[in-house]
Amino acid sequence: MNTSPSAPASASSQVQAVARRQRLEDSLFHLITWLFSMLVLLALLGIIASLFITAWPALSKFGSEFIWRVEWDIVNEEFGAAIAIFGTVISAAIALLIAVPLSFGIALFLTENCPVTLRRPLGTAIELLAAVPSIIYGMFGLFIFAPLFAQYGQPALQSTLGQMPIIGHLFGGAMNGIGILAAGIVLAFMILPFIAAVMRDVFEIVPPVLRESAYGLGCTTWEVVRYIVLPYTQKGVIGGVMLGLGRALGETMAVTFVIGNSQRITGSLFSPGSSIASTLANEFGEAADLHMSALFALGLLLFAITFVVLALAKLLIARGEKAKGTKT
Amino acid sequence: MTKGRADLIELSVMNTSNTLTPSGVANAIEVRNLDFFYGTFKGLKGINLDIAEHKVTAFIGPSGCGKSTLLRTLNRMYSLYPGQRAEGQIKLYGNNVLDAKQDLNLLRAQVGMVFQKPTPFPMSIYDNIAFGVKLYENLSRSEMDDRVEWALSKAAIWGEVKDKLGQSGLSLSGGQQQRLCIARTVAVKPKVILLDEPTSALDPISTAKVEELVSELKNDYTVAIVTHNMQQAARVSDYTAYMYLGELIEFGHTEQIFMKPARQETEDYITGRFG
Amino acid sequence: MDLAIYRRRKLVNRIGLTLSMGAMALGLIVLLWILVVLFKNGFSAIDWAMFTESTPAPGSEGGGLANAIVGSLLMVVVTALVSTPIGIFPGVYLAEYGDQSKTASLTRFVTDIMLSAPSIVLGLFVYAVMVAQMKHFSGWAGTMALSLIAIPVVVRTTENMLRLVPGGLREAAFGLGAPRWKVATFVTLRAARAGVMTGLLLALARISGETAPLLFTALNNQFFSTNMNAPMANLPVVIFQFAMSPYDNWVRLAGGGALLITLTVLVLNIIARVFFRDQGSR
Repeated sequence: MNTSPSAPASASSQVQAVARRQRLEDSLFHLITWLFSMLVLLALLGIIASLFITAWPALSKFGSEFIWRVEWDIVNEEFGAAIAIFGTVISAAIALLIAVPLSFGIALFLTENCPVTLRRPLGTAIELLAAVPSIIYGMFGLFIFAPLFAQYGQPALQSTLGQMPIIGHLFGGAMNGIGILAAGIVLAFMILPFIAAVMRDVFEIVPPVLRESAYGLGCTTWEVVRYIVLPYTQKGVIGGVMLGLGRALGETMAVTFVIGNSQRITGSLFSPGSSIASTLANEFGEAADLHMSALFALGLLLFAITFVVLALAKLLIARGEKAKGTKT
Repeated sequence: MTKGRADLIELSVMNTSNTLTPSGVANAIEVRNLDFFYGTFKGLKGINLDIAEHKVTAFIGPSGCGKSTLLRTLNRMYSLYPGQRAEGQIKLYGNNVLDAKQDLNLLRAQVGMVFQKPTPFPMSIYDNIAFGVKLYENLSRSEMDDRVEWALSKAAIWGEVKDKLGQSGLSLSGGQQQRLCIARTVAVKPKVILLDEPTSALDPISTAKVEELVSELKNDYTVAIVTHNMQQAARVSDYTAYMYLGELIEFGHTEQIFMKPARQETEDYITGRFG
Repeated sequence: MDLAIYRRRKLVNRIGLTLSMGAMALGLIVLLWILVVLFKNGFSAIDWAMFTESTPAPGSEGGGLANAIVGSLLMVVVTALVSTPIGIFPGVYLAEYGDQSKTASLTRFVTDIMLSAPSIVLGLFVYAVMVAQMKHFSGWAGTMALSLIAIPVVVRTTENMLRLVPGGLREAAFGLGAPRWKVATFVTLRAARAGVMTGLLLALARISGETAPLLFTALNNQFFSTNMNAPMANLPVVIFQFAMSPYDNWVRLAGGGALLITLTVLVLNIIARVFFRDQGSR
């Protein structure tokens, strides 16, 4: 690790001493910063290990069946992750379905349609939406959104989509404003600002000449964004969506208030359910022994799920770059 | 020219009167008293010139003289940016495109543009060409195939890409990408093609190929080319306009401009005394 | 026939642009709605008592949030003190030596994972290694959980900001014969300090609103205490507990606490932005 070149023959011994000391300092610096990096690494390993250890009793008792067992009986100590996984995945999927198009619309507006003076303040407003703590979203969801949803939203859905042949079941059952669909909607607005901000950022760095080329052919604004800007920024957009998905999967407070916390799976989106995070938040206080172990197993699963999402995102991005054939 | 496109042009033209230059050549574009503003800064001052149909008109001058600015008024590209505005008249076959009622998309379908930096769209080579065509014409699959082949041949690149039409446009070399962009512009069969320093980012061999193209294109299109390379202007153009600091100093037949410029400023620039 | 295509395209364009404006409006409406509701419900709760009295016992009257406010402040400050070095050093490592070493790419990957890890899982981890071992909840455990959330943010923003420093600046310093560590700290880090500060502020803003990890670590404390070695009162958990309770004064206090947290987070965000804009764009 040579940082200073060998001193010229005529350098005084004082300069050489300084150079020697500096080399030592550099080595020390490298070591210290390296050590702190290792700390971060070790933290992750520690997390995985400790989760695993505490979850072991449950995992060894139920084996891999744990993942798809539809059972959560605290009294009889029969546990399975399927209910929680179902709630987690479905609510996150609903959130994405709502948030991604909305984010695209917001990003389009901010980059193409918005008067220039309003761009910065409106963009900041959307970013501030991201700063609102999730517990606020949960409370808003429960006290403001849920009653309105029960009174207007759910009946509207049930009378329209609920009457259709196959998907009608999804909108059946009691309408009390909470449940998996409600949780998905609240989540959507939670992750919306993240995805919108990322999309806006990547849309903004598209080279003006590319945009102008499309306009030059006589494209409308919509076509420019939909067919040129969006494919060009594919990598960033996927990253943003995955970021949102990760948050949606792991979100606790926004979901716990609204999902209903019932340990059952039914066919309707209106019915209450549970997500992994909401189960943990609700039951942790009183849990012991196998119950506690099962909760930790759920936590481990959630960690694994978000890890898979992250890995998939990186894979998609890498694949996307290859398909575009970007040649340096 | 397809019937459809003729309809479009008729619909966007309000009156068709062409002024003829003394040599009897029709004008595709007539610029009258054009001023251009970047905010409060006046980038173009009182420009008056004609761009002849089916000829190549070159714009030369030192950096900042306004030649690119002028080109970008011809297809109202500046309208994308608030704070930039033009005053005066620009008549495309008698129709003033600076009019507020002018439909910009239709205008740009008739006045195509190729930029300094090659800008292939993030899609396959075939789709790059088809994209613009699909905007205004409804062609069957085989008609589109023909059009794609025709455009790529016109751009002298068909042989090099005919076996890889499905590959991304970004996988081509710089010179090929630029010819792809030219093919894309040609494919929609505009009336006028604007070239903004199309070869300044290319190597000499690609440059030569593009210059050959320009000479051929004028058989079917009107071409306006901005270039900072005087020799290129002398090689490819029929008419040349010399601009300086936002003003049109001199305009005439290329031979006359380069052999016997009427203005001292023109001669100074041509002979390399500055710029 | 061609004009029909164009008309359809224009219609699609009109619809698309209108929808996008609608999406923007929807986002703004939700933001405003949340803020308005927060203010309406929380404002009435903000009085001197809220800052001086501790949380009331179930069923008792009045009370405030003093212990929760102090507890949250304590934990956030300690987290800041802990995460700053532990976050900046790896950030520097990644930016300075990152292109040469395997450890660096590994660290970056791990940081990514921890950034996307749900905060509740991090809370579980701290429970397992600290709370279960110590047999009690504590403010230290809460701090550790919050640090695990903040550190990856600091690492990532530090690295990004350092990388943005123009290469010419570093080369000029090296050209003078400066040793590497001096270039990294006195030149590069100093040049990027606005961005790094912004990263810190944003990390702090993020953890100020976190509830889930605290549920398993610091839990809550009904009384006023600055003992980090015992369960520590904090705003988010208090809000969680009080919001859905049947007691009126509890619900009122939850509203006040919610307003307080949101204002803090928003102010931190705005400061971070303004700071970055003023200092960073010099």
